[in-house]
Amino acid sequence: MTVRTIDVRERVMTRNDELAADVRARLAAAGVPSFNLVSSPGSGKTLLLERTLERLGDRLRIAVVTGDVQTQNDADRLAAHTDRLVQAVVTNGACHLDARQVTSALEAIDLEDTDLLFVENVGNLVCPASWDLGETAKVVVFSVTEGEDKPVKYPKMFRMARYAVLNKVDLLPYLDFDVDRAVAFAREVNPDLRFFLTSARTGEGLDEWTAFLQSQVPSTVTT
Amino acid sequence: MSLALEICRITEEHVGTARLGDVRVVALEVGDDAGVERANLEFCLEALLGSPPFGAARPVIEPAPGDVFRVKYLEVEDDGPDDRRT
Repeated sequence: MTVRTIDVRERVMTRNDELAADVRARLAAAGVPSFNLVSSPGSGKTLLLERTLERLGDRLRIAVVTGDVQTQNDADRLAAHTDRLVQAVVTNGACHLDARQVTSALEAIDLEDTDLLFVENVGNLVCPASWDLGETAKVVVFSVTEGEDKPVKYPKMFRMARYAVLNKVDLLPYLDFDVDRAVAFAREVNPDLRFFLTSARTGEGLDEWTAFLQSQVPSTVTT
Repeated sequence: MSLALEICRITEEHVGTARLGDVRVVALEVGDDAGVERANLEFCLEALLGSPPFGAARPVIEPAPGDVFRVKYLEVEDDGPDDRRT
């Protein structure tokens, strides 16, 4: 028996990127902006989405795809705030969503009857940065209970994101967290990152966040 | 780990499920700007390639320019013709 060499020369992300391109094309054809919410576990992205659904649900037709390693707890929480379908993807151990899972989830969503799509990724600041889901933009959510240096510790995630939400700002009086320092770290990695400072618990900053989201929906953009 | 699993999927696509036990080397090119920690990837691949359905395969990670991140070649134990000159 001899050893044979098989030439491969295939980009590791080729298959995922092809599927992501298909997702992006479908969403663009339907005029549906989509945001992939990525964060470490516990940053508050599910509560942020709950509050977003409460504030925009009567004005926009919002679809949500959630990803969790186990359980569909997040999907159940979100479903309490919308009559529309919340698609739960249980990854069974995988630490991120991929474009194949989003493609499957979209089968159950009528994009012609949708204004805005959220994908709530698995809580993880590493792997989701590498996986294009076909979204309009990644939104990285982090909170003031985490270190200011999260952006430089996880630079790829902050580099891949177009928007950042710094959440739980209601806790700032009780913490040594320096917002300016955190923003500076983030801009060091990604100078174009647009920031939103929010407290999903108290509602602080949510007017700006929801106004931004509404401005992204073509049918509501005023010229 | 997710990237290591994707590499295993690509390997399976090229050799077929039944032949995974015959794979001896999975060679990769990883650029400095690929956003991949080579040592971590190697650790994950060693765990996956050393257990079923693989047999005794090992990863070989070569440096590459920029953000290159690809499976370069596989070495498989069989009598078929080589795809490349080594």
